[in-house]
Amino acid sequence: MNKPYTNMQLATAHVTDKTTDQPKLKTYDKARVEVNNLNLKRGGRLILNKLNLTLADNGITSIIGPSGAGKSSLLRCINGLDKDWKGEISVDGIASKHWPKGADALRQHIGLIGQKPTVFPCSITDNVVFGLRGKQRKQASSGLIEYCLKQAALWDEVCDRLDHNAQTLSLGQQQRLCIARALAVKPAVLLLDEPTASLDPRSKNKIEASLHGLGENMPVVVVTHDLEQVRRLGGNALFMCDGMLIEQAESTTLLDTPQRLETREFFQWSTCDCPPEDE
Amino acid sequence: MINRASKFALCLLALPALVVPILCLAYLLMRGLPGLDSSFFGLSTLGQSRDTTSLSNQHGIFPQIMGSVLLSALACSIAMPLALGLSLHNQLYAGRRSQSLMVHVLTTFQSIPPLVYGLCGLVVFVHLLQWGISLAAGAIVLAMIVLPVLTLNTIHALERIPTALTDSARSLGMSAGQIIWHVWRPKAWRSLLTGLFLAIARTLSETAPILFTATVFSGVIWPDSLLSPVTSLQTHIFYLAQEAVDERILAHAWSSALILVTLVVMFSVIAHFLNRHSSDNE
Repeated sequence: MNKPYTNMQLATAHVTDKTTDQPKLKTYDKARVEVNNLNLKRGGRLILNKLNLTLADNGITSIIGPSGAGKSSLLRCINGLDKDWKGEISVDGIASKHWPKGADALRQHIGLIGQKPTVFPCSITDNVVFGLRGKQRKQASSGLIEYCLKQAALWDEVCDRLDHNAQTLSLGQQQRLCIARALAVKPAVLLLDEPTASLDPRSKNKIEASLHGLGENMPVVVVTHDLEQVRRLGGNALFMCDGMLIEQAESTTLLDTPQRLETREFFQWSTCDCPPEDE
Repeated sequence: MINRASKFALCLLALPALVVPILCLAYLLMRGLPGLDSSFFGLSTLGQSRDTTSLSNQHGIFPQIMGSVLLSALACSIAMPLALGLSLHNQLYAGRRSQSLMVHVLTTFQSIPPLVYGLCGLVVFVHLLQWGISLAAGAIVLAMIVLPVLTLNTIHALERIPTALTDSARSLGMSAGQIIWHVWRPKAWRSLLTGLFLAIARTLSETAPILFTATVFSGVIWPDSLLSPVTSLQTHIFYLAQEAVDERILAHAWSSALILVTLVVMFSVIAHFLNRHSSDNE
């Protein structure tokens, strides 16, 4: 496993590509997440059923599937928010249940961003450094804050009001702030649960652009119901149904030529405006 | 027409709940206010020797006020950390079944008459541990009485914090301690203070448990130690009212009652004020 990334390193990681004047992510760790035979029961119902999955290398992986397929639960299991699962999840070859320094360190290693933007009732700056611990938080440099906000494509909109309450931002901006906040603790993998579900097209585009940038440097997993977004994000796509992984392929291949009946039916429903008549 | 009639009927039903306390308060003011002179507070006898054995208690009400406040402060200092610990454990580590069981148990404890706590305190602290009638025994008994109130209030305050905030903090890898300090504390401190002030008001209004365990009517101005008895407003009023044959002493009881009610109302008003601000911020 790579050594923990210090605050100073994060601050110095703010490197600008002089040709494009865009910040470049250089030093994030990469992680390999393996999920074997994952089962999750809740209220007597099987949410995840013998799920096997490998997330490796950089790039974006979209997870699609009907509501209740277990997509969000899968992310919560990988991040360690849900603990009552059975099976095996390993990160960088280490079983997540035996993660060094405990579950908190694992959650720091694997960032998770929820569907609803949740900002803390404090300034934009404080929100970015919210996940940092003790001295790291107090000593967080302005470079780190700028770097994370630029990665989340939010810097240009908030650079002149960093001390404003984060709750005054629009929903789209709040969601990007959540991405910046997750980046500040230097995750090796980024999991996003329907990050654009309730946002306008402009905010969607900005978040997708941010994800493209992040995907070049770390594995990014996005749960979404938006098939067009899957196409725009590129990378790989997984289709889940009833807690099982049904199909996995390159995103355009999966969208254009799904192999399994369940996937075809789901796409048919998703692209149809009106419900089909009963036969 | 039916609406008007039902509204009128409801008003009639609600009226006694409003009118009776107001009448009581008015009567209390009428009887208590005339006695609130400098001798009542002991200001006219400052510097003179204090003989508290006299029923008329001519040396002022300060020892009683201080006794009540001391008992209340000690009880809440014992109960508050325990309530915080219990409710934080309940929120962080207990399963859903344990959580609901704890709320059920606390609600049951809350409904036990304070007299029973007083009896338990008398048996355990006064007789078994041989502490005698003491400040410590009274404070612990009062702490036991307010512990369910404080714990339930803290649990409800923590439950009102949006789960999404806690989940976001956890997903960032924040430890339980960091979540408590950085996420829960800013959201819940007003509610916790509200609970604390209500608990103070409750301890000030309890009489029976401290009669058995902590207070004496006379012979004490200030307790020498935690194991010394204390005098309080509640017991002072109780004894004066019970044994008063002299109109002057009865007037003294009314004035003491007015002071006690003022203290209780003051803490309740602070609690209400904090609670309103807390609701506004949510």
